[in-house]
Amino acid sequence: MLALIYFIILAVIAVGAACCVFLSKHPLYGGLSLVLTMLSLAGIYGLLGSPFIGVVQIMVYAGAIMMLLVFVISVLNAAKDNRTPMFDGTSIFVLIGVLGLAGLIGFALVLTPLGFDATTLRGSVEMTSSNLFDTAQTGPGYFVLFEVLGLLLLSSMGAAVLMAKKRLGSDASVEAASEEAIAEEKEEK
Amino acid sequence: MDIIESKTWVEWLITIAKFGFCFVPVLYILLLIPMERRGAGFMQDRQGPNRSYIKVPYFGKVRLFGYVQNMCDGTKLFFKEMFAPKGAKKFLYYVAPAIPFAIVFLSPCVIPWFGPMVFEWGGKVVRIAGPIVDSEVGILLLFGFSSLSAYGAVLAGLSSRSKYSYLGSLRTTAMTISYEVCQGLSMMGLLVLAGSFSLTDIVSWQEHHVWGIVAQPVAFFCFLIATIAETGRAPFDVAEGEPELVAGYHTEYGAMQFGLFYMGEYSHICISSLLVATLFLGGYSVPFVTTETIQAHMGGSLAILCWVLAFFALAFLHMIYRYSRKLRASAQSNKMEILQEYKLYKGIGWIAAFVLVCAGIASWMLYNPQVTVVNGVAVNTLGAALGTALIHLLVLLVKSVFFCWVWIWVRWTLPRFRYDHVMHLGWKIILNIAILNLVVTAVVAKLMGGN
Repeated sequence: MLALIYFIILAVIAVGAACCVFLSKHPLYGGLSLVLTMLSLAGIYGLLGSPFIGVVQIMVYAGAIMMLLVFVISVLNAAKDNRTPMFDGTSIFVLIGVLGLAGLIGFALVLTPLGFDATTLRGSVEMTSSNLFDTAQTGPGYFVLFEVLGLLLLSSMGAAVLMAKKRLGSDASVEAASEEAIAEEKEEK
Repeated sequence: MDIIESKTWVEWLITIAKFGFCFVPVLYILLLIPMERRGAGFMQDRQGPNRSYIKVPYFGKVRLFGYVQNMCDGTKLFFKEMFAPKGAKKFLYYVAPAIPFAIVFLSPCVIPWFGPMVFEWGGKVVRIAGPIVDSEVGILLLFGFSSLSAYGAVLAGLSSRSKYSYLGSLRTTAMTISYEVCQGLSMMGLLVLAGSFSLTDIVSWQEHHVWGIVAQPVAFFCFLIATIAETGRAPFDVAEGEPELVAGYHTEYGAMQFGLFYMGEYSHICISSLLVATLFLGGYSVPFVTTETIQAHMGGSLAILCWVLAFFALAFLHMIYRYSRKLRASAQSNKMEILQEYKLYKGIGWIAAFVLVCAGIASWMLYNPQVTVVNGVAVNTLGAALGTALIHLLVLLVKSVFFCWVWIWVRWTLPRFRYDHVMHLGWKIILNIAILNLVVTAVVAKLMGGN
């Protein structure tokens, strides 16, 4: 019962902030609403019995990546203070697409049996690490995949650095890429 | 939910009382501001602010060694006008100072203030964990909060529509992110050794093996530097450096809005020093003595605690007597007032020393609770458990106050770094040392057959 009340509060915040992302006129407010969405999603993860995922969500997404996003928005936009119009020609197609997708997902969610039990532990640190890295179990787990992903991020970082060398003024994307790589590395450890 | 039936009322009382620890960083502000001012005075061979006083009728002026200055500052900040510059984004401008200050109340939740209390009550064995939230991801939660508190500075800079604030907030963003990476990676070696993200487990590992500073000396220094940088104080205060950016991200703020930033900074120091003490200095554990020994000789331990406090009272008295001797010989115009104030301190000091010595003797002679063992776990009486918690808490506070002094020491000793130097130090030196340390630690731990 208590878990359900918390869930409703967090869900309302998450959905409301997600709507704000679309409705806010200034991109800075949109970014901040996204931070709020991520924080409440982290709360829901914790409520579902996987505190590790929730905390990583706070640390990596709300803390590091959204901080960089706000950084980029402020570099590009805050000085000029321009306001984009909410609707233009293309937004009709976008609106139809979004509504269709929402309908599909809602339909799928209604059909899926969802068990909500706050007491069972689904994503503790131990469970997550053994699922990802335990090579002794059947097969190598996701270990190789994880390493390949790290390599991919590293190469993308290198590519970003090379591109930034040719065209000055896109330092922020380099930092974003390196930040992601390092965050991955941290999780890996 | 059947939580309520499964707990006795004492457990509920202690669990709720533990929420009081949320206010510890705010209380530390009261300690840290005079400490910073008088400490700066000490470093620069001057007095520091100690002139403000409270006038007590029929007695005279009480100055409390400059502590009254806090109240004057607070009163001033509270009664000044709140304002926003023209063209500022009003909502963000008013919300921004509250973010770091709100995070301050959340962060202490995961710090273990004392070892797990295990005691018997009403025929049941009750176990109460040290931190308010005994989470298995405690340290990560703390880092998450710490990274969120940087939003305050960023939003303040972006919303106040001033170039200096704006540049300050950009610098804060860059510095927070780069030093957070260093902080996290330098701490990972210790986590590999302890094999847990839970701060309680880390402290108990240190209690039963060695302190983190012995096991991971390189990581300790990396972590300390990164944490000092994270609090954004000199020598790393590029985000609010006076010669370049007026006051950085809070240039446009005044009154209590500025006060919230100010208090947020000092509380951040408190939490960081608690974190360093917990990770690398054994947290609540008493040096060279295990918790089991303390609990087995509860009366003696409490007596030693009382006598140590009595020793501090006597040292305080010694200081007061020396000051008054100097003052009598001097030609200061207000020396009678000050001597009158010192009489009060002498009285309090002697009473405290006497009471503490007596309490120590009484607990030595009279208090000797029994420890029973249930399923291999030592179970105490409620009094012994509370006594152990008190000793642990005081030990942790002493360690963290020492690190607070390190913060002040560093600030008033080193000159400010230039912005590119700070970035160079973070990304090219500390980060590499931290990664190297982590790899070496992991290999050694694997070879030694640890976790």
